[in-house]
Amino acid sequence: MSKMKLCVLCCHYTNEAMPEELADIPAEIHIKRFPCSGRIEVVDILRAFEDDAEGVLVAGCERNSCHNRTGSLRAAKRVEAARELLKEIGFNPQVVQMAFVPRLDTGAFIEEVKKLFEIILKTKS
Amino acid sequence: MIIAERKPIERILQMIEPYQKIAVLGCRGCVAICSAGGDREVETLASALRLARKKQGKPLETIEETYVRQCDPEYLKPLAELKEKVEAVVSLACGVGVNLCADLYPDLKIYPGVDTTFYGANPALGEWEEKCRGCGDCIIDLTGGICPIARCAKNLLNGPCGGSQNGKCEINPDTPCVWQEVYDRLKARGELDRLTKIWPAKNWIPAGYGGPRRRVRPDLQINNKKA
Repeated sequence: MSKMKLCVLCCHYTNEAMPEELADIPAEIHIKRFPCSGRIEVVDILRAFEDDAEGVLVAGCERNSCHNRTGSLRAAKRVEAARELLKEIGFNPQVVQMAFVPRLDTGAFIEEVKKLFEIILKTKS
Repeated sequence: MIIAERKPIERILQMIEPYQKIAVLGCRGCVAICSAGGDREVETLASALRLARKKQGKPLETIEETYVRQCDPEYLKPLAELKEKVEAVVSLACGVGVNLCADLYPDLKIYPGVDTTFYGANPALGEWEEKCRGCGDCIIDLTGGICPIARCAKNLLNGPCGGSQNGKCEINPDTPCVWQEVYDRLKARGELDRLTKIWPAKNWIPAGYGGPRRRVRPDLQINNKKA
């Protein structure tokens, strides 16, 4: 059976984790970094699914700690819009998750990726 | 500007069901400004359609393009080339754009990706409000710049109806009664006497009841016979 494919869209400040630090999650994990999570568009989320991702995590800075003030709040709105669109075409909206992660806290970031993995496992069962 | 809203994806999927390769064609005019049919909406819709079709096991190929204005033949020349590359086009322009594309290229299978809804203003980010109905016989000189045709559910021209309560409309407690607004505005401007004048019956022919409307400025025409 092929590995579950997950895609993480995050900003430079929420994640410094390297792929090997995510090695104990039994999934193929693709990380795409953006200058700010506020730069992530709905289409970036959709394209991840077009590229066969089964789940997408959008990770931004904790509220009130974004370098660009409201970047991660903007990202959360994009996630909501993507969920609405995905629902329209028959996807479970839970396959997209938003996480507000403490800046440069690799541990918290990895936890969020694990959470996404668990959610996707549930949606598949 | 003209305000539009994306059609449900299910509806668009029905339109393009027979095709394997389509173009999603945006417009940088009104629909881009009201975030319904500009570059960003084109790429989002195209991706959603591809994803939906992939899920159905019927892959879809898309070309994504956005023209300056789809209501102007000058900007539609590239469509002659584009239509040879695809089986159909989903246009995110307003109905005007879709009509014109279809008129200029009668053999083109073009489908609307948005519903054209109203003429509106953009009072805040992500919000649009109807302000004008395009009736062709503007009377807002009499009403303090507020249109009772566009902003009253009953298009009343002679004051509020019995459903006006505490300045709100009976159809929705969040909707102001336009006649309350007209009264307040004119009172503040010292022009309440405007409401005491008897207006002549409104001529509805310019609103489109005389058939499709057309405007001509002979001084701008190139091939007018009188020149």
